[in-house]
This record gives sequence, C-alpha cells and structure tokens, in this order.
Amino acid sequence: MSVAEWFSERLPVRGSDLRELTNEPVPNHLRRWWYALGGTPAYLFVVQIVTGILLAFYYQPSAETAYESVRYITEQAHFGWYVRSVHKWGATLMVAAVILHQMRVYFTGAYRKPREINWMVGMCMLVCTLLIGFTGYALVYEQLSYWGATVAANIADTVPIAGPWIKQFLLAGDTYNARTLSRFFVLHAAVMPALMILLIIIHIAIIRLQGVTEFHFEDEKSGEPDHFNFFPDHLMTEIIMGLILMVLLSVLATVLPATMGPVADPLNTPEVIKPEWFLYVTFRWLKLFSITTAVLSMGFIVFTFFLWPFIDAWVRRRWPKSEFSVYVGILGVLAIIGLTVWEGAVAH
Amino acid sequence: MASSEASGRRRSLLAGGLLLAMWAALVASYGTFASYAVRFLFPARRRDPSWTYVLDAKSLPVGQALQYITPDGAKITLARQGSGQAAEDFVALSSVCPHLGCQVSWEGQNNRFFCPCHNGVFAPDGTGVSGPPGDAGQSLPKYSVKIQNGLVYLDVPQADGLAQVELRQIDESERIVGPGHDPCLMADLDRDQDRRFS
Amino acid sequence: MSLKTKQVIIAVLGIGFLVSLIYVQAMEVARREQEAGLRKVHIAVPTRSAQCVECHGQSSPGIVAHWEGSTHAEKGVGCVDCHTADKRDADAYSHYGETIATVVTPRDCSRCHGHEAEEFWASHHAKAGNILHSLDNFLAETVEGSREPFNPHSPTPGRAFDKVNGMASAFTGCQQCHGSKVALLGNDGETITMDDLEPDENGFPTNQDAVSRISKNQDGRPLLYSGSWPNTGIGRINLDGSRGSCSACHSRHDFSPRRARQPENCGKCHLGPDHPQKEIYEESKHGVAYRDLREEMNLDATEWILGKDYSQAPTCATCHMSGNLRNGGKVTHDPGERISWTNRPPVSLAMDTDINHAVVKETDPEKRRALIHDSWQDKRGRMKEVCSHCHTPETTNGFYAQYDDFVLLYNEKFAKPGQKIMKSLLDAGLRTSRDFDEEIEWTWFYLWHHEGRRARHGASMMAPDYAHWHGMFEVAERFYMELIPQAREMAEHGGLRGASVTATIDEILARPEHQWFEQGAGK
Repeated sequence: MSVAEWFSERLPVRGSDLRELTNEPVPNHLRRWWYALGGTPAYLFVVQIVTGILLAFYYQPSAETAYESVRYITEQAHFGWYVRSVHKWGATLMVAAVILHQMRVYFTGAYRKPREINWMVGMCMLVCTLLIGFTGYALVYEQLSYWGATVAANIADTVPIAGPWIKQFLLAGDTYNARTLSRFFVLHAAVMPALMILLIIIHIAIIRLQGVTEFHFEDEKSGEPDHFNFFPDHLMTEIIMGLILMVLLSVLATVLPATMGPVADPLNTPEVIKPEWFLYVTFRWLKLFSITTAVLSMGFIVFTFFLWPFIDAWVRRRWPKSEFSVYVGILGVLAIIGLTVWEGAVAH
Repeated sequence: MASSEASGRRRSLLAGGLLLAMWAALVASYGTFASYAVRFLFPARRRDPSWTYVLDAKSLPVGQALQYITPDGAKITLARQGSGQAAEDFVALSSVCPHLGCQVSWEGQNNRFFCPCHNGVFAPDGTGVSGPPGDAGQSLPKYSVKIQNGLVYLDVPQADGLAQVELRQIDESERIVGPGHDPCLMADLDRDQDRRFS
Repeated sequence: MSLKTKQVIIAVLGIGFLVSLIYVQAMEVARREQEAGLRKVHIAVPTRSAQCVECHGQSSPGIVAHWEGSTHAEKGVGCVDCHTADKRDADAYSHYGETIATVVTPRDCSRCHGHEAEEFWASHHAKAGNILHSLDNFLAETVEGSREPFNPHSPTPGRAFDKVNGMASAFTGCQQCHGSKVALLGNDGETITMDDLEPDENGFPTNQDAVSRISKNQDGRPLLYSGSWPNTGIGRINLDGSRGSCSACHSRHDFSPRRARQPENCGKCHLGPDHPQKEIYEESKHGVAYRDLREEMNLDATEWILGKDYSQAPTCATCHMSGNLRNGGKVTHDPGERISWTNRPPVSLAMDTDINHAVVKETDPEKRRALIHDSWQDKRGRMKEVCSHCHTPETTNGFYAQYDDFVLLYNEKFAKPGQKIMKSLLDAGLRTSRDFDEEIEWTWFYLWHHEGRRARHGASMMAPDYAHWHGMFEVAERFYMELIPQAREMAEHGGLRGASVTATIDEILARPEHQWFEQGAGK
C-alpha cells in the first residue's frame, strides 16, 4: 500500500477537489495591479499576527511593567527593534492598504447589488483595523498611549445611552486605572484579531460564492479567454505583492525604527499630543465641533457609508444617469486628505 | 533538427533554472526572516558579571550564612567561615542543586547542604558527597567574593531590563533566610535594603 | 505578464528582501557593539545642518567634534535646529541660505526643553544678571574700573593703545558668571541692547528705530559688542528679552549632562572668597566620598536618579537639582526649590517665596502668610527627601537644628548689630551713602559678603573649617577688631553727631553675648 493510499483512506480528499477549491478562475481585470489590492491588507494582517505573537512573548500588560518591557524589546532583545518596527509599520501600511482597497471598490462601484453585504462586512473590517491600530499604541504606555486611551474613552462617553457603558468597559472603571492596560491588551491581541479573522473568512467566502465583480476594458482583445488561473498565476502576483511589502517594511523599519516616547505620566498631559496619523481625521473633526456634535456626526457619516450600497441604489433608481456616488467619493477623499494634512501641519 | 533540439533543451533548462531561482530566493529570504524571529525569542545574553555589593562584612557573624538573590535571579548562599576580613573567610555558593535545580538548604546540625528533591548532600565547601550530585561528581558552583573597605561584594551576572523589575519583588520578601540567622541581623539587613532600593 | 516574468520578479524581489534582512543583521550587530561600548554611536547629520558640518568641520573642527559627541547629535538635532532664527530677530542673519543667530538663548532651547526653561526662569539663577545692570555693580564698574573709558597715561611698548576700557573688570570678572546684557553695535557707536529693542512676548523687537541702527558687516551679519559677547553667564540678558544662558552649565555644543552633574561645573562661579561652595563641598564628607567613588557613580545615566542609578555620594546637582527615588525622579532647573535659608544677604532670610519666586520680606505675620506661595518648610521638605536616601530622619533633623542655630547666631550676634551700626553712621551723616569710599564700608563688606557667607555656607554644607576658621573666627575678628574700633573712631571725630553712633555701639556691646569684650578691654 503506497503512502498516498494510506493517507487518502484516512483523509478522503481528492487532489482534484483541492485543485478546484483553490483554483477558481480569476477574471482578467485582476491582471491590473490596482484591482489586486485586496490581498495586501490580508498579507499585512498575517505579518501583524506573526510579529504580534513574537512581541507578546516579552510584552507585560501592566502599568508598572509595560513601558519597561517595550523598552526591553526595543533596546535589548535580539532583533527586538526590528520586530517592533515591522509591527508598527505593518499597522500603518495595513490601514493605508485597507483604505486604498476600499477606494478601489467604491470608485468602481463594486459594492453594488448583489455585493452590498460584503461592502458592509468590509466597513466592519475598516473599523476593526482602526480599533486594532488604536489599542495597539495604547499598549506602549508612553504619554501618547495613556492620554490617547483617556481621550478615546471620554469620546465614547459622549455617545448617547451606551456611552458610559462603553467607557466603563474600556477603562475598567471611570478613569484610567491599574486594570485598564490589560483590557487594551486583550482587545488588541485576542478579541479584535479573532473578530478580524472571522470577518476575513466571511469576506472571502462571499467573494468565492458570488465571484468577483468582472470588469472589461476597451483595450482587451476579443477572443482571448476571460479568465486566468488562480494557481500559479494570480498566486505569484500575490507573492510579488508580499515581497514588495516585506522589502518596504524592512526598509522602513531600518530607516525609521519605532522609538520610545516619554513614559506615561498621569499627572501631566503633554503640550502637543496627537494620535497616530490614521486618526488625525477624527481628531481634527473633534476640534471643529462641540464634542456631542462631532461624535454624533462622525457616527452618522460612518453609518451612512456602511449603508452606502442601499443609498446609492436608491439614488440611481431615481436619477439613473447620475454620477452622484463618484462626486460623494471624491468629496469624501478630499475631506479625509484635507483634515489629515491640516491636523498634521499644525501643532494644536 | 539537432540545433532546435538543443535550443529546446536550453529553454527547458532556463525554465527550470528560473523556477529554482524563484524558490531559492523565496526560501532564503523568508527563511532568514524566520531565523530572526527565532533569535528574537531567545533572550538577550546575560550581562557580564560585575562586582555587586551584598552587605557589610560585620553584619555576618562567623559560622553563619544568608541567602542572596542576584539581580539576574541566581540564588546564592553566602557563608562566613573565618573571623578575618579577607575574601578567603567567605564562601559564596550557588544554592541551586546541579542535579535538577531544586533549592538546597543548609543543615547546621549535620554540617552539610541538603537538597530535598532527591536527597543530594553537599559538603560545606559545596562538593557533592552523596545522592545524585555526589554520584555524578557534581558540586555547587562557586562565586568569587571580594572584600573592600569591610564590604562584601560578589561577582555576579547583572540583570537586563526585565529581571530588574522582578528583583524588587523577590528580594524584599525572600532575600534573607539562612542557617542560624538571628532577628537582629535580619533587621540590620532590612534597613540596608531600604536604603538601597526604596 | 507571463509566468516567467513573474518568476523573475519574484526571484529579484526575494533577493531584495534578503538584502534588506542582511542590512537588518548589520544594524543589529552594530547595535550590540554600541551597547558593549565597542563602537561609537552612529551620527547621522541632519540634512539642514549637513553644510554647516562640512564647512565648520574644516574651519572649527572642535565645534563639530563636540557636537558629534552630544546626545543632540545622536537624536538628530543639528546646528540649524538651535541656531535657527526668525528674520524679525534683531541678531538674525542669512548664512548660506539659513537664517540663523550666533547667540542661542534659553528661549531657543525652550522650543524643545520648555519645562526646563520655565523652571530655570523662575530660579534665582535667571536673575543673576540683575545685580550687574543696576547701581549695585558700583564695585567693579567704578571702584575697580571706570564707567567712562580714559586715556592711557604712558605707552605700552610694542602695543598701541589709545583707550583704557574701564569696564574690563566688570565684563571679564562679574559678567562671565552673572551674565552680560548682550549688545549689538550701532551705526552711531552706541550699543543696542534689549532695552532699546523692546522685544515683545515672542522675543521680536518692537522698536524698529533701534533695529535700523544695528551695524552689520558686509555679509549682513549684525555685529555683537565684544564687551557683552562671548558670554555664558547664567543670568545673561539676551536680545530677545529672555534671561540666562543654558550653556553656563550645559557647556555648548556637547551639552553634556554628565558634566552638569559634576561639582566642577558649578565651581566656575561658586567658589572663592565670597561664596566658596565648591571648596566647602570638597571639604565635606560628601565631596570626599565623591572624589573617591566618582567612577562608580554612573554619571552617564539617562536619568541619574539618586537611589536608583547611584548612591555613592551627592554632587551639587544631587541635592539641589537632580531627581531621586523619593520625589519620583523629578529634576528641577530651579536650584532654589530645596534651599530653606538664603545666606546671600547680610542677614540670612527664611526662604519663603511669593508667586514670583522672590523672597518674601514682609514682617507682619498675617500679610506674610498671604504672600507666601512656597514656604521655607516646603523647600526644606524637598531637601530632606534627598537627605533621607542616605540619612535617618534623626540625623537629618539634628543637622538642621545645628544649621538653624548657626545661622541664628550669626544673624543676631554680628549681622544685625553690624547693619545697625552702619545705619547709625549713615543717619548721623558720618558716612556717605556711596559705597566703598570709607574704610568701614570695606570692613562691613568683608564681614558679611565674604566672611559671613563663608561661615553660613560652611555650616549649610557640613564643612567645619569654613564654618569656623574661614568663617565665624574671621567674622568675629572683623567685628571686634575693625568694625567696632572704626565706628568708635568715626563717632569720636564726628563730635556731636557721633553721640548717637556711640550710643548704638554701647547698647550693642552691653548685650550679654558681647559683654566679655568690654570687660576684656578693661573698661
């Protein structure tokens, strides 16, 4: 009895099944790189999991030891600075990649019927990514971590009805206390990533069930096949993307390594305090309006985008020719860029 | 015919070479990355040993010993065997049994170190006498002692960042337990501790 | 894109990734070597300062070398970051495309070290320049020198001098510690200081007339008056209106915290006949221990917290400025925060300070209480925190009892009586209000400014020889053997006007602590 037979008796999966499962034909438009952005955040997420697990070997989530353990990782552990820098830059690139992928989906209208649900799943993943990013830098226990967590909890506090509950949940009390940091750690390293993995499975499952939206371009020659193989053709595209990201991460980690800010001082809010760049939009928004207005409007905007496939469908039913969604998209992108640059350019 | 066959072979050779190059590059790069990850998981090398102040020689009477936990976490029994003020009058032995790492204790009445895990017995100078360490010819490792201005120093590895944090918790409660200790001595040392760490 | 192309790309990128990882390994090795002290920290010259380093590396290589050894260089703070100026600054000039100023003031440093600058500005150090630019500086400017330049009275062979600068003693002697009032040369030969420029809260001059008078060289660089610059006196009065000079302690260009922690650093000014703190410290057990153990004191530590980074001995900084375990490692740049007596004036005062950090002189208890913002007890408490790292409360309290007694003895037995005699001479018209033109004024100055301070400082920092032989012994000699006889003589020569002075002296000498003298004199 051959080894192959021995296994196939015990694992009744045929090679052809596996091939079929993994080798869904990929539409030709995915040969264009712009359309292959979806794999980028997924790849970065894997990088984050690997480096995150490594960091968790040394990280100690308590107010007394957190900063010291991060300092140990950064300054003493072998390649610690590299692992931490890759994790930090991986987060930055992941947020960027998610936003780019979402912009592609938005501007090509790929969220339209029947893919509304996957758009909403995607929105959940965006929020999830931002929250993981935020809870991540809260763990270092530097000034930014402490005050960022405090400010965020108090922003949550202003949400009607649920606010105080959210704040209590986040801080394990009314203010930042000795039990707060371990919560952020569990959220960052267990709860949110698990949720993310679940969302990724759903996201990909829906794609596989529906197939990706197919686009055709004018310069395509007729008569050629519409699709190409996932394996090995598209997989190699993804490997290339992955390698580009790895080189980029390594270069960023060596040129601009993650540093240590001043340790958290509960009695002293620094003069200039800003969150990570991907929260600049929210931060500037909060400075523009009263707290309740800002929080409610922000919630409203996110919710609108969450439901955008339905709003867009309704608009298109009424005015079939309108390019409404494109204009809204351009406005949205400009607003995000504008607010981010504004916040980045000024000290207060 | 022959030339096209040759060019066909060249092509397939080239294709095979390409595939090989691709795989080699992938394995080499990700393999290196993985090796860094593994290296990361093994803690930074211990700092080189340096002289660390332990206590005032006067506060350890002849014939007595005390337990000392180094900044690095190593456990040491420091005993005074002579009435002089020289390094030879003191002996510093690891109090970790070389057999399987249990804590040995001093038995004054039997004039020996004893390991309760597998009945290991050591002579006062740390030589294994009977039990598994004696059979295997293992002894308790020795640390160098230095006396300067009447103060006792030990040559012990220094802690890296993380261990220091743990040090405080350990040594305030557990540092001094030893054969024939008297309460006054402990009080003296406690005060000394306060001065240095609080 | 064909599969083959993709394979090539993957192979190339894979090698690229490998190369970047090899670079990571190189950095890791470099980091390890640096940690083991085998290699110097790599300095990346910030782009904006690259040109400065290139030229000044040739023209003044020492400056560049100092900077390369500094934490600033390690952290990427370059020449331009500190020397940068706004076009509106009075002393700004364009230098190879950058607008810079020569004098870096605490206002410049405060761009990054704001907290330190605030503390410093609240300190007595920052006000050290006040004494010089007031009438108090009569001694150096008039007695030792001359406020107006005068002609040399005979030639100096080999040199051609046409003027004697009478301010030389003040510039070189006083101002290098107290700080100069930085001045620019004007077109009209006058100097231009912050008084003329009237800087606003951002340090920019508001008086454009004064700005227009600034004399510049052919490159457009404003000319600094040599009497006021170079100067690193701690109370320097800068053109932008800010007080002080950070390089007084943190020597310029290498800004070494290690150096600022050592007593030699304070010894540039705190030494000599009038306030020999440095010598007093060296005599004390603290200084002796420091000299013995300085190699083990971890002077390069990032934070240098007493009780954590070192415990061997205190330096000036340890007690007066640095952080310690008891205060949570808080460093202060106001050395007055832990001083409970000021021994600077003729009569020592309790260091109750008001909201502006000035010593409260009010005598009415109620009003005094209302004015006090930070009491002498607060300050002593902070100092005791430092003491407690190495001394029990009994020892510390006992020391302070001895010190208080000593200051009180000096105040009551010599300082207040001396002051009273000097006042009675003035009231009687037997001496002028101009200082240093009567012998007794020199006597009195020696008594409190030199010997009295030596005694009190000796007591404050546990140097018995200074407290006694260089201190109270000389105070007593000066009082009984010079001040009293001189005052009596002036009173006798003063005829009727001297009667009140004689009465004052008699009243003082009749006090129990002075009785021995009259009896001993055989009266």
